[in-house]
Amino acid sequence: MAMRQVEPEALMSLNKVDTSKKVRNPLRTWMHLPAILYLVLLTQIPFLYALWTSLHSWNLLEPALGKPFVGFANYSYELLHDPEFWPVVENTGKLIFGSLVVCIVVGTMLALLLHRAFPGRNLLRTVIIIPFLITPSVSAVVWKNLILSPSFGLINWVVTTLGGQPVPWLSRFPMLSVIGITSWEWIPFFVLVLTAGLQSVPDEIIEAAHVDGANGATVLWRIVLPFLRHYYEVAVLLGTIFIFQTFGKIYIATAGGPGILTTTLPYYTYQVAFQHWAVGQAATIGVFGVILAIIFAQIMVRYFTRGVEGAE
Amino acid sequence: MTLVQRWRTRGLTVLTYVIVIIYLVPALWMVLTGFKTESQAYSSIPTLLFKPTLSQFKLAFQSGFGGYLTHSLMASLISTGIALVLGIPAAYVMVFHMPYKSSRNTLFFVLSTRFMPFAAIIVPLYILYTHLHLLDTITGLVLVYTSMNLPLIIWMGRSYFLDIPHGIIEASRIDGCSPWQSLLKVALPLSSSGITASALLAIIFAWNDFFFAVNFTFTNVPTLPIMVSSFMTSESLFISKLSALGTLVTIVPVALGLYAQRHLVRGLTAGAVK
Repeated sequence: MAMRQVEPEALMSLNKVDTSKKVRNPLRTWMHLPAILYLVLLTQIPFLYALWTSLHSWNLLEPALGKPFVGFANYSYELLHDPEFWPVVENTGKLIFGSLVVCIVVGTMLALLLHRAFPGRNLLRTVIIIPFLITPSVSAVVWKNLILSPSFGLINWVVTTLGGQPVPWLSRFPMLSVIGITSWEWIPFFVLVLTAGLQSVPDEIIEAAHVDGANGATVLWRIVLPFLRHYYEVAVLLGTIFIFQTFGKIYIATAGGPGILTTTLPYYTYQVAFQHWAVGQAATIGVFGVILAIIFAQIMVRYFTRGVEGAE
Repeated sequence: MTLVQRWRTRGLTVLTYVIVIIYLVPALWMVLTGFKTESQAYSSIPTLLFKPTLSQFKLAFQSGFGGYLTHSLMASLISTGIALVLGIPAAYVMVFHMPYKSSRNTLFFVLSTRFMPFAAIIVPLYILYTHLHLLDTITGLVLVYTSMNLPLIIWMGRSYFLDIPHGIIEASRIDGCSPWQSLLKVALPLSSSGITASALLAIIFAWNDFFFAVNFTFTNVPTLPIMVSSFMTSESLFISKLSALGTLVTIVPVALGLYAQRHLVRGLTAGAVK
């Protein structure tokens, strides 16, 4: 008798698993092929061409020298002899790490503040996205000329009003300034993701904790933040990948300088390619960028696999 | 609620407003400066009260804004259109026709193309473009923006199609619909708001691009972000004109993004967060 009562349920749950995992509509179709083909043509073929280019000594300014095959000489030059390569890698790491720290701290604070019910909450939640939508080259121009400028910048007005001396931010603290501009753009992304996370925390858990005598700080630290782990992971992984691509802000605000203090891998690739026209070497730097990205992607692919199998 | 609690709540609300406003100051200051004369903009004490003027916007328009605008519109709209035409059927097949495992592998491939650093393919694309005479053409920009936005359209489309019960598509098939008919007549109408949002996001990404635009365009088809940066180097002493221009360039992405804000998270996280 008990067996029979269980049976239909077991069958239903089996069916459920079945529909989500079975071969869907098995009809053969080519409708997805143009998209795949397009992506292969525009991203994979160029990348293979980049690999080929990286094995050659090739400068577009000196066509007479041709493009002789040099094996891994470009790679060993970058790793062992290029005095700028490792500082550039370090700068890239600083930019990503610094921006992520600012985004996590400010993003968490704003997400928590905007999670409370208060008049005008929806309006604030909307307008806070704006810095993320502003064209990045526009925000770089605005930060450089209106905010950080030593003579007319708002920050220096505050500094001098408080009795300090004006600071040439972009030349005295170049990396911090670029981190500031980058974080300003990416904080809304963290607020959006963390807000989605906060909305998914079940109220019952928090009520139960309060009933058990936990105070606000304990609930936040022991229940809410651990609950948000998944969301922090998504924000940090994608933030890393997107911030790694930062280019326009550096081009406009600092041009990689002073010296090479704010030159990151994408900007360095650009300089070597389009200022020195050493395309073999530039392709090599690009390949190093991909190797770094693959390391991140590996982590991410594992992450999304979990998402695909779990959530759907 | 005790009196202390009530004041604490009010205090937190005020604090929230103050922080958000400080955070938005650079954007607000840009818009405000755009309505100033140059001498007001260059006063050492920031002017908050002034008689607004539209002359900077007029000047920005007279500096060739229309041409840049046309290039930006063409590059972002055409690339988004192609990305939709290619990407939506792919997303549909991934959800309703592919075996689970190949659907997952396809998604990984698509994700990996979007997360590859653009710097890795800029050199080969530049050389290929030189040979194919695609440098400084709208076609050249459209090609790269499509490859940038196709993954976005695919993963967002996929995430919205996943919300449609399989039975509905199955029923349409039994009623004699071909896959194209099921897609166009059943799946698309059911996910139209999501697909619209993904198209808007794609337009924003193409519109805001600087990396490809600065390397692949020169005099024929420079886009608005290029206008902003060249304005700065050539006319760095005109900050209110620059602010007016920045405001104009920013209107489109901000308006589209705020319209699609409910879908932003899903789009940016490839559906990992809804």
